[in-house]
Amino acid sequence: MKNPQGVYERAFTRNSPWPDKEELLDVVYWSRQILAIIIGVAFGILPLAGIFAIVLYCGITTLAMNVYVSEFQKQDLEEYGGFFELAKEGFMSAFASFLVVWIIVYSSMHASL
Amino acid sequence: MLGDSLLIVFISVVTALLAEGLTWLMVYRTEKYQKLKNEVDKQSKKLEKRKEALGESAASKNQKRRLNLEEEKLKNHNRDLSAVRMKSMFAIGFCFTALLGTLNSVFEGRIVAKLPFVPLGLFQGISHRGLPGSDFTDCSFIFLYILCTMSIRQNIQKLLGFAPSRAAAKQGGGLFQPPQATNK
Repeated sequence: MKNPQGVYERAFTRNSPWPDKEELLDVVYWSRQILAIIIGVAFGILPLAGIFAIVLYCGITTLAMNVYVSEFQKQDLEEYGGFFELAKEGFMSAFASFLVVWIIVYSSMHASL
Repeated sequence: MLGDSLLIVFISVVTALLAEGLTWLMVYRTEKYQKLKNEVDKQSKKLEKRKEALGESAASKNQKRRLNLEEEKLKNHNRDLSAVRMKSMFAIGFCFTALLGTLNSVFEGRIVAKLPFVPLGLFQGISHRGLPGSDFTDCSFIFLYILCTMSIRQNIQKLLGFAPSRAAAKQGGGLFQPPQATNK
């Protein structure tokens, strides 16, 4: 990121201009990481378990990122490669972060050995 | 259990930093790598822009041929870049296989966490490796370590600016692609 301060401000401002697509994709990447950690902590505390929680996580993050880009930032998804290209942005590392946080919180709060 | 899990997270942060440090020493700081990386990034972006421009209009045969030539050139550069990285990948692989062996013996038979899900059959071999019993929600050291590494290594690379650019990643290419002949 060339100007992190400017990017940070634009990330929270509705309908910001994004002349460099890479910057918005970076915002999507890091937002997904943060969201993954938050969801991991929430699912661990609740606790939510099983494959349903994994599907729910995938659904929430994919939808949230797409809504953020298309509705909040009013960008054309096609310019970013479409719905699935955006859904893939940082998916694996965020998914791994979610699993790590979820497993640690869940096992420290609810599991008895 | 929490202590073990946090220790594993800490170990993977340290090993990821170590791996990136080693790669920086052996690869990232070399002139050859920097030159190739700049070349690949520049060409990937150029190619992407050209593809977008051509996508809107019906491309002539000549334009398509030029595009193919540039794609081949980029693939060759990508292959060279992967070859440069290979050297450090081997060194790191060797160090971490030894480290993993040691850590495996330290955590032998220890349940480091309780999984909130039952992993698919394919992953049960890793998640339950070396553990007694048949409760597949028991988590082994190696499973948590792999997950931590997947998450932390990529984020560290991105933070330090060592991750390959999106355009270059999108164009693909790598060491295992057959070399392309550039028709001149």
